[in-house]
Order: sequence, then C-alpha cells, then structure tokens
Amino acid sequence: MSILSVLLDSTGFYHLYTVGLEVEMEEGTNKRRSDSREPLTPEPQEPAPQKKKKKKKVPAIGRKIFTAPSLKPVLTKKRQNQVVLSPDRKAKVTEHHGSDLGAEDDDIITDTQSPIPQHSLFSAPHAHSQPAGRVFVERNRRFQAERLEQFRHSDLMDDYLDPRHMWTTRDIAIRVHSGFRVMGLFSHGFLAGYAVWNIIVVYVLAGDELNTLPNLLQQYHRLAYPAQSLLYLLLAISTVSAFDRVNLAKASRALRGFLTLDPAALASFMYFIALILSLSQQMTSDRINLYPTDNQTLWPPGSERQILQPWIAVNLVVALLVGLAWAIVSARPDIDYTEEFLMTMEVEGYPSGDETLEVPA
Amino acid sequence: MLQTGNYSLVLLIQLTLLAYDLFVNSFSELLRGAPVIQLVLFIIQDIAILFSIIIIMLMMFNTYMFQVGLVSTLLSRFKDLLFFSILYLILSICFHCWVLNLRWLESNRFVWTDGLQALFVFQRTAAVLYYYYYKRTAECMGDPRFYEDSAWMRDVFARSRQ
Repeated sequence: MSILSVLLDSTGFYHLYTVGLEVEMEEGTNKRRSDSREPLTPEPQEPAPQKKKKKKKVPAIGRKIFTAPSLKPVLTKKRQNQVVLSPDRKAKVTEHHGSDLGAEDDDIITDTQSPIPQHSLFSAPHAHSQPAGRVFVERNRRFQAERLEQFRHSDLMDDYLDPRHMWTTRDIAIRVHSGFRVMGLFSHGFLAGYAVWNIIVVYVLAGDELNTLPNLLQQYHRLAYPAQSLLYLLLAISTVSAFDRVNLAKASRALRGFLTLDPAALASFMYFIALILSLSQQMTSDRINLYPTDNQTLWPPGSERQILQPWIAVNLVVALLVGLAWAIVSARPDIDYTEEFLMTMEVEGYPSGDETLEVPA
Repeated sequence: MLQTGNYSLVLLIQLTLLAYDLFVNSFSELLRGAPVIQLVLFIIQDIAILFSIIIIMLMMFNTYMFQVGLVSTLLSRFKDLLFFSILYLILSICFHCWVLNLRWLESNRFVWTDGLQALFVFQRTAAVLYYYYYKRTAECMGDPRFYEDSAWMRDVFARSRQ
C-alpha cells in the first residue's frame, strides 16, 4: 500500500511523499518508526511552487507535492508513523493527528510503478509497494471502487472472512453428527437414570417378594404405557448413537471391536439387547395399561404373579443393561469411529486427500 | 457440485422426517383415542418413509458417480440402507394394516397376539436400524468426492469397464 509522507520545510509547505509499503508488514512498523527519526528530510531542490492543486498526482515515488499551508494533513493512523516533521513544527502538527486524520481519496498517491530514484532517502522498504489504496468490488456486474479501510469493515469483507461461508458439505455432515452425538450422550444418561427409577418404583409397589402385585397394577397402570413409549424413544436414540460410535456399517471392524471388548461395541450390543427385551414386553405393558377396563378377562384372579414376574425380571435386566452401557460409554465418551470415518472418508484404499484431478476442458 | 446450502436443507428435511417417524413409533400407542388418529399418523408415517427413500435416491442420482454410470458401485456402497429402508417400509405397512384392522371398531381394547407381538418387535427393531443407516448415509452423501472427478473414481470406472 502506498504510504504518504508529509514533510514540512521552512517555508511552511507540506511536502507529501509516497512511500511503498506493505500494509501487512506490521512487524516492520517499529523499525520504520525508528528510521523515520533519522534526518530524512531532503532539502527542496527548487523553490516551492505557488499553491498547487492537491489533486495533482505524483507519477513517481519521491516526487513532492507542494500544498498550501491551509491544507490539513489527513493521515491514517498507520501513516502517522511516516510523518517526518521539522522539530519546531512537530508539536503543532501532532495536535492534528488525534481527531481529524481521516484519509481522503485525494491525499493518497498511489502510483508506485516507476523506479525509485532516492532509495537512500527512505528507510522504509518500498520494493514491494502495491497500489492498494482502493479495492474494486464487483457489484451488480460493475466494479466499484471502495476504500480499503471501508471494505475491511464492510459486511462484504465479513462474508469473505466468515468461516461459515467456507464450510463444505462434509463439515456440515460432521457437525450434524457431532450434534447428534451430544444428544445421544444425554440420552444415554437419561435412559440409565429413568430405567433405574422405573425398576425401583416397580419393586417398591410390588412389595416384599412381590406380595402386593394388585397394588402395583392399581398404582402403575397409568404409567405403564407412557413409560414403555418413553423407554422405546430413549432406547432408539441411544442405540443409534451407540451404533454411530462403533460404526456398525463396517461390519468387520464392529465385529473385531466386539471380540476385543471394545467399549463402544459392548455398549452397542447391550443397548440392542435391551431394545429387543423392552419391545418384547409391549404386550404385557398394554395388558397392565388396560387393567381397570378389562380386569376380568385380562387379569384372571391369581394370574398376576405369572404375568408380572417375567415382566419385572425383564425390566430389571433392561435397567442393568442400560446402566452398564451408560457407564461404559461415559468412561470413554470420546470414542466415535463414525466421526473418524466421516473425516477420512476412506474409499477402497483411497484416503481422503488431494486426489482431485484437474479435469481437462 | 453439491452446494452447502442445498445440502443443509436436504439434511434438515431428512432429519425432520426421521424425527417424525421416531415420534410416531414411540407414542402412536398412546394416541389411540380414536382409530382415525392412528390412521392419519400411520398414513403420514408411511408416506414419510417413502419420501425419505425418494430423497436419498435423488441425492444418489445427483452424484457425479451416478452420472458417469457407476450406478452399481454407488448402490452396492449403500446397499444396507436400501435393504433396511425397504424392509422397514414393508414391515411398517403390514403392522399398520394389522393393528388398524384390529382396532378399527374399538380402539381401546387388547388386540395383541403372538404374531402381532413378533411383527411389532421386528418393525420397531428394523426402525432403529433404518434410522442408523439412513442418518449415516445422509451424512456420507456430504462427501464432496461423490460430486467431482477423482483418482478413485477413475480407478473404479476403469475396473468396471474391464
């Protein structure tokens, strides 16, 4: 970017110099500051012309623009470092820098293409100067000039810099997968707690050695079907999440994981067994649900223990399985082979890499 | 090339359909106050499964791999999903027809037999496998390599021509 230098000579005229600098060379700022304090001010070779128009552009770096004293030196903050002032005017000019140093288009001298004749006069590096005071943005099929500073703070630049706009479809898939994994982790814990609570309630209502089963039916029949529905919902989410962790679609890898007692594979197996056991009790749950309406036909006297004992035992096994699976999953919550698969997307020995070919037109 | 916005939208629709399916599978037994409620829920559920299969097939048709003729490779890659989708659709339709037929005259009565219980277990288990494979496939379809030329695809193409 072209940098403006203002020199004040004894006649009171501002001498504007352009110095090619890379904007990005932040690390060189300090050096330029120190260098700029050297006596760089060249003596004017000829008397200053009278009140040249400030719009006049300097074709080469190092050429001066003589402006009227009334012209406010408008410099950006970065350019202040380049201002070289004579000692007697330094304090005065510095006062202007605080508030009204907004850059104007006309004060930027952007022509830096020609060779630089006075290398020794300027300590700042100017070999890579680029005329980037303005940028041209295509809008409505027309290129419009914009100030670089404005462009940097515009929404358009934010759009370019916003990482969300650089997302690929794979990133979205991985993000969705990660979101579901979090939901699955919550489901694991909630299911374990709910199953344990459920079996405790059943045993409390059933009494010692299942002696108060009619009391259980009387109290629990409202809860039986909602509990069964909620259990299926949580088991379905947890099982899918566990399958995701073990990457069940890769059957050989999943089988190897199960044989080597991989935590994710074990948890998947437990959840799947618990799901089937829970589903197998749907008939009994509906029978409990209909206890008040079909009392005589569905629950003949003396049949409670025969029907409810297997149901309680299966619920106990389900609670133990989901509790154990939750403990296993929670011990290693970072295991997720599907996420690794999505990241690598290995296809038949071709790992995901720069394999995209340049297709000839 | 698959656009990010389009893929997000399609993924959202797919997950919504799966969520509806899971909701009906979980709570349809509770919503049996009138047989017509279950009838509507089951019809929408079966249509949703059909829509889900159509959407995933359209995503496959949209891939560069499919368009260059590697149909069998693509289908064999996702054969598990296709199998479980069709199985689940068939089981769902059978179960819905059976349950509605038994409950049409009186919705709140005990209808369970051993056969219905077995079909229920198979249908609900197939549903979980269907959810897993569908979600996984929908995420895998976001792989940009399915939509562009690659060394792997050329290799597969060369092998398929031999």
